[in-house]
Amino acid sequence: MMKLSKDFLIHISGGKTDLIPVGGAAFSGIMRGNQTLGTILELLKSETTEEEIVSAMKEKYNAPDGIIERDVKKALSELRGIGALDE
Amino acid sequence: MTGIYRIADINIAVTSVYEKVHRMCADYLVCGQTADFSVETSEADIENERERSAREDALEGIPVRIFPDSYLETLAVYRRIAERMPDYDTVLFHGSCVSVDGTGYLFTARSGTGKSTHARLWRELLGERAVMVNDDKPLIRVGESSAVIYGTPWNGKHHLGSNISVPLKAVCILKRGENNRIEPLGADEAYPEMLQQVYRPMDRDAMRKTLSLLDRLSGSVRFWRLFCNTDIEAAKIAYEAMKGN
Repeated sequence: MMKLSKDFLIHISGGKTDLIPVGGAAFSGIMRGNQTLGTILELLKSETTEEEIVSAMKEKYNAPDGIIERDVKKALSELRGIGALDE
Repeated sequence: MTGIYRIADINIAVTSVYEKVHRMCADYLVCGQTADFSVETSEADIENERERSAREDALEGIPVRIFPDSYLETLAVYRRIAERMPDYDTVLFHGSCVSVDGTGYLFTARSGTGKSTHARLWRELLGERAVMVNDDKPLIRVGESSAVIYGTPWNGKHHLGSNISVPLKAVCILKRGENNRIEPLGADEAYPEMLQQVYRPMDRDAMRKTLSLLDRLSGSVRFWRLFCNTDIEAAKIAYEAMKGN
């Protein structure tokens, strides 16, 4: 199971989704993404799994086989890298 | 020891371990008034600042600098103040602000880019018309359709600043360049840099408020990006563009 760390806030502005650390987080940059990142982050507001995220994304977006799985894995890896996931 | 200081039109009671912060804030001292809020620092705050400073030095790849406790406490006091300021629609911003004819122009950039150097060029160019508001960490109060920038006691290593406030007209993101060139910047393009240079509270609600104040600020000031060297020409082209008509 995984969830977005409480040390990060989702901020949507001008069609862009930003993931922003509060002052106490070790990461001090921002992660900026598109609507897809926004959807993944929304799902991570509650406890979830990679499989559940992939499944929810497949309901929302049409993409060739394997693309959503790859994008979700990549996004989660980046989120993990900046300490934004509680697992 | 405790003193009440009026900073950004807010009365703040500061209680500290060391005297240094009170000497630093002397120009902002008020007497016989009540405080809007209070901050108090302890040895633990000082230790926290020491650890933060060491982490930042390590990130920059420089030897860990040693600072006296009294100096570290001044940082801790401002951190505690900055945590409360979003309640007053106000944010701490890392930048150098010059007032020209009573209008504020703010320069921001990563440390070491040359904010203070560029602000000095404005003073050389404009003489007495240019007054330093703050050379390091001013406060910005963000209204519905305008913003006001305030001098504070935390005004950089050369202590350049004044206990004044002026309307903020423009924010300029500085980049080093061989030649001098300025261009308007959309709020969306400026946002990541603004976010890097604003104080990010540890409290989630205060952080949310900070983000909403940054959004509001985007609607009330103009943004510019200046590629500059250290010639006076840099100040000339920046001022001509930023002052508008």
